[in-house]
Amino acid sequence: MTTAGIERTRLPEELRCAVTLGVDFDGPSHEVGRGIAPLGTHSWGRYSARCGIPRHIEMLHRQGVPCTFFVPGYDAECHPDVVQAIDRAGFEVAAHGYLHEAWDLEAAEETELLQRTDRVLRELTGKPVLGWRSPSGRKTATTMRVLKSMGYVYDSSDKDYDLPYRLRFGSHPDDWIIELPNNTYSLDDFPFYKFSHTPPSEVLAQWKSEFDAIYDADRFLVLCVHPRSGWGSGTPVRTRILEQFIEYMKQHDGVRFFSAMEFARLCERGLPHLEEARIP
Amino acid sequence: MTDFRWPDGVRCVVFVSLNFDAESYDLKSTTEDRLFGRFSYGRYGVRAGLPRLLHMLQRRGIRATVFITASDAMRHVDAIREIRDAGHEIASRGADLAPLTTLGDSEFHALQRGRDTLAEIAGVHPAGFRAAAGEVGPRTLDHLAHLGFTYDSSFQDDDHPYVFSAGGSATIVEVPTVSSLDDSFPYSARHTHARVLKIWAEEFEALYRAGCLVPLTLHLRGDIGTSRAARIAALEELLAHIAGQPGVRFMNGSELAAHTVRSGRKPEANPYLAHSEVLSRTLYRGDLAIRPIGA
Repeated sequence: MTTAGIERTRLPEELRCAVTLGVDFDGPSHEVGRGIAPLGTHSWGRYSARCGIPRHIEMLHRQGVPCTFFVPGYDAECHPDVVQAIDRAGFEVAAHGYLHEAWDLEAAEETELLQRTDRVLRELTGKPVLGWRSPSGRKTATTMRVLKSMGYVYDSSDKDYDLPYRLRFGSHPDDWIIELPNNTYSLDDFPFYKFSHTPPSEVLAQWKSEFDAIYDADRFLVLCVHPRSGWGSGTPVRTRILEQFIEYMKQHDGVRFFSAMEFARLCERGLPHLEEARIP
Repeated sequence: MTDFRWPDGVRCVVFVSLNFDAESYDLKSTTEDRLFGRFSYGRYGVRAGLPRLLHMLQRRGIRATVFITASDAMRHVDAIREIRDAGHEIASRGADLAPLTTLGDSEFHALQRGRDTLAEIAGVHPAGFRAAAGEVGPRTLDHLAHLGFTYDSSFQDDDHPYVFSAGGSATIVEVPTVSSLDDSFPYSARHTHARVLKIWAEEFEALYRAGCLVPLTLHLRGDIGTSRAARIAALEELLAHIAGQPGVRFMNGSELAAHTVRSGRKPEANPYLAHSEVLSRTLYRGDLAIRPIGA
């Protein structure tokens, strides 16, 4: 299919839907980064390490599906055992800011924080970190350049498309990274639990409806959830509807679950065609 | 996700708590001489809601924990004694609803005043505390232990109660709540009570299966609370369903704290300590914080 003369990304014919599940760790970094002590009502990030992540690991293991955990460097420093448990359980550990910086950073500070988080995660898992998701979705071409220099294969922060693509951020031939765009207004948990206070069963219906529209059409689904209490999916009923959503997708022929890294690798070398976009 | 155990034969515990939050809440937005009209929803809770709620809890045989500010207690002495006489636990919500994190050096005295006022009116020292807006300061837990409180119920970080170290050898139990079981958030978002009860029914079923604490947090107010007849009727239907499940026990805050102490959970450090150094050199960006509607 072409749009305005651009040949769109084409996935393998037999793949009727590629699914990547992502869990944004969002522990105490979310509050501490804003200068707020993780006490009282602001303690809900502590739920991630104490209850949410173990519950998600258990559920994902039961379902036998891969998942990528996007971890802020500070949370990894606070909870090294939890990050190692994620890795030991066979799930991908990727980067998600240092103190969940949800504001614009100067290039020098940003570079330092990206490198620091990369170092923390790499030392904990003994594996290279290959992907990043921006905390809050802020990023620049400089961000992409730093990630690429550290050997990252993909970014999953842009909101501008339904399909993976090659994001070109500079004029050098190597100035590109695989982009796995996501949507934090519909295929996410926090808009419903934080803003609209939607019953979990209705969130499940919403996600199923998203899947139905993507299956056999764009065929690429990125779901993002958070293991904290309050506005996340770490609590029992919310983990359960996440599990029911996974079960629903598994019932459909030709659905395959990928970690973000596995899917980015497929995009790099295994697709019939990968669209390229130059930003800006 | 811990090795926490309920008493033998108990599968899950329901903790019904009520944040009294009458004029204390309205006075965050206005002055004493203007507690009329839009600023009278707090008074509604006491005049119209409280008798109805007490009747319903009595019908269901549920003993709740009621968190009350000193300022509300002084305005509603008879109501506080009525709550006590109905068998409910009187607990403290501080002197008024000013966040503890804004009080500076006067925090200890505000907590003390909250305790002493209730002790004077109700005749018993409150054992439990819940912070206004859930705002807990670095020294709050130590202060509470020093003032003789046995538990706090302001955190949102676990499925079960646990224990904090609180200065020296002192400890204080934490009975955590969860915002999805707090009526003020969906009612602030103007949801129907049918929708709120739908959320709670779904929450309960999963918590019950997982053997977690079910911390149901109600408010007495006529706007963002559970005091209107229809809302109480809807809640009663859910409570009847809950009470009918095998292995469900209702416990108040003090009973939960006592069980937690008996279970021998190892005290955990005040979470502030692990973050104090980073916090001391971090710019405050609270305006960016993701806050619940109405908080």
